Amino acid sequence: MKMKRGWVVAVAIALLAPIAAEGQSWKTVTMSRQLENSDAVEVSVEYGAGRFIVRSIDEDLLYRMNLRYDEDKYEPVADFTGDRLRLGVESHRGGMNIRGREAGELELELARGVPMDLELKFGAVQAEIDLGGLALTKLELSTGASESLVDISEPNPLQMSKATFEAGAAEFAVHGLGNLNAEHITVDAGIGSITLGLEGRWQRDAELDIQMGLGSLELLIPEGLGIRLRKDSFLASLNSEGLIKRGDVYESPDFAEAEHRVVIDLDAAFGSIEVIWVR
Amino acid sequence: MHMSLLLRKALLLLGLTALITPSGVEAQLREIIAKNVGASSSGATLELAFADDGELAISLDDGDVLVDGEVVGSFESGDELDAAWRTLLGQAMALENGALAEALVSWQPPEDGSTQTLDASQAVDEALESALRNVEPQSERPEGSLTISGGDENPLMHLLVNSMGRLGVLEEALEGLEETFQIHVDEDVVIEEGSVVDGTVVVIGGSLRVEGGIEGDVVVVDGTLDVRNDGYIEGEARVAEARVVRNNGEIRGGIVDVLEDERADESEMRNRLRDEIREEIRRDLRNEIRSVARFDDDESFSIMSPIRPVVRGVGGVVEKLIMVFILGLIGAGFLAFAGENMDAIADTARRSPGRAAMVGFAGTFLLVPVWLLGALALIVSIVGIPVALAWVPLFPLAAVMAAVLGYITVARNAGEWLADSNVPWTGWIRKSNPVFTLVGGLLGLSAAFVAANLISIAPFLNILSGLLFAAGVIITIAAAQIGFGAVLLTRAGRRREHYGTYDADAAWAEAMGIDVGEGSGKGSKNEG
Repeated sequence: MKMKRGWVVAVAIALLAPIAAEGQSWKTVTMSRQLENSDAVEVSVEYGAGRFIVRSIDEDLLYRMNLRYDEDKYEPVADFTGDRLRLGVESHRGGMNIRGREAGELELELARGVPMDLELKFGAVQAEIDLGGLALTKLELSTGASESLVDISEPNPLQMSKATFEAGAAEFAVHGLGNLNAEHITVDAGIGSITLGLEGRWQRDAELDIQMGLGSLELLIPEGLGIRLRKDSFLASLNSEGLIKRGDVYESPDFAEAEHRVVIDLDAAFGSIEVIWVR
Repeated sequence: MHMSLLLRKALLLLGLTALITPSGVEAQLREIIAKNVGASSSGATLELAFADDGELAISLDDGDVLVDGEVVGSFESGDELDAAWRTLLGQAMALENGALAEALVSWQPPEDGSTQTLDASQAVDEALESALRNVEPQSERPEGSLTISGGDENPLMHLLVNSMGRLGVLEEALEGLEETFQIHVDEDVVIEEGSVVDGTVVVIGGSLRVEGGIEGDVVVVDGTLDVRNDGYIEGEARVAEARVVRNNGEIRGGIVDVLEDERADESEMRNRLRDEIREEIRRDLRNEIRSVARFDDDESFSIMSPIRPVVRGVGGVVEKLIMVFILGLIGAGFLAFAGENMDAIADTARRSPGRAAMVGFAGTFLLVPVWLLGALALIVSIVGIPVALAWVPLFPLAAVMAAVLGYITVARNAGEWLADSNVPWTGWIRKSNPVFTLVGGLLGLSAAFVAANLISIAPFLNILSGLLFAAGVIITIAAAQIGFGAVLLTRAGRRREHYGTYDADAAWAEAMGIDVGEGSGKGSKNEG
């Protein structure tokens, strides 16, 4: 709600632009598309630099996108062809926007309940992504040097075979991985601080592959979830408080009895790994 | 049977009535499927896509008012139209589909302002109205009567089943007509001499012969209108796919061809198609000619076959000469602006060609790793990301420039060597003119390629031509590597590897043609 008000203010400023912003080339755009049916959609979003917000929308819209960008250099992309929806901003010469002294903003709302393969690619952005309420059949999230907070605040009503998170040099946090309803989750992180929250409603057993280069990793594990952790590291310390080492693996005490189990394969080069239990 | 006919006629009546019903009924708004509202300091844009595939784009941009890309007026930043439009778009941002359509249709254009502002406002308002309403708003029409008569059952059924096409035409033909209608479907009608009909006479799929008078309009679709002696039509004769025969009769309101616009569109489309086909044929021909000139892989016999080797060989020579010309120009630039640097590089390439070549090869192999690792290191440092943005494109550019500079410098050395040599056709190369030596050297380094191309013209000498071509490649790589290495060793000519010193004994010996002892003519190495 607060965000929506912010956009109204931004648009109001843009609409008053002849008076207030002579000489600047910022453009504010609102784009939307009605929801025609509930057929599955492949959604691809690319955004270079700035603030990036994604969440679900309750209205009868497939998407609504609010953008603020420098129109001299970039142009918005909103292309819906067949079952493919491509959104974002690209430079006039093509490719993603990776410049960013004064960056823009993209706020995207996607339809709840519409089955979608979602691909999010963003660069040097400050991202707030809430995938709660979206009906995801596939997720690919890729980010460069960003500060990203991903929250799956509500359970995904559809089963997802695979979810992939790739983070370059980032401060990257994902919460509510249990709500993804995914069988296989892959996290590939380069450098930075990574937080993976396994909270949420697990509906099946799952595998979580984590590959990390250099940095710190925090694993937030809810009590009651069965965890088996296999670690293959070079110079990475592990604080495995609450896990019991059995042979080559670390397991939660109730792993055998747990309703749902998550097997974590961790491949880390340098850094620290910490297991934190949450209620 | 009779009941069936009545039923069918009733159905037809229903269809036709829908067309000519006075528009007391509220016009329906089109469904908006997608919207794009944008605003910046220079203008504000509204783009709509409708569920029935139509689109509308209205923008106030840089002083122009555009509707679907066409300029319909002008505005000034901050004037009444600009302000009203931006206010409307402010609302449009938060609205969707039905509510959005209603807001757009009910927009009140500004009533104050200059004539140009008012005209442009009117144009925008009309564009919104016409795009958003399914049915054009029409003025209230007085109650009228409707009479339908038709031929036998089959033509009526035919019309009903195929009504879509004709109804569309009818809709255009009946637009704006008032009063009473007489509709005749698939039957011939005669207005006899002495009789006068009030209202509009519509004939579909039949002929209308007017010997008397019609105090109204006439619509003929897919038929014939024949106005005989003393016959007259007071209003317009609207025809669609119909023939008009005027045998001394009068059509006082004139003849309107309802499909004229469509025909014009068709004609335009035909012309465009013709132009596109013509252009396509031309393009195919051009490509064909090009492929013949390039002698693409198609070696089949054609009229050009006998002269292919000649064109290919001469083309190759011309290509090399153009390359020499371009490199000569670049070299002249280096000579003018970085002559001393070239001297230092040339000196190193001349005195230590082996070392320069080794450094050149090593540098070449290390280029990509250095580029990638440099970029990675800068990105990893986060603060170095802006530098990385410059590093990624500029490093390869600098490497290419270094290679070109090195090659040109080696070419100049080669030119100097040719000037001192007794090689035929090199007498024109003068060491006193660095441009001559440079061009001479470039030609010298390209000589193997030129010879390969010329020899390829002759039959049965492909092997020799191939060997010469290979020699050219080796010479070029060697020159480029020596030059690149020399550039690296001398830091692009800023740090000399060798310094020549004035040797008085050597100068004396050279001037007098005698030997005065050791050390003459040798420069001493000095690490700078």
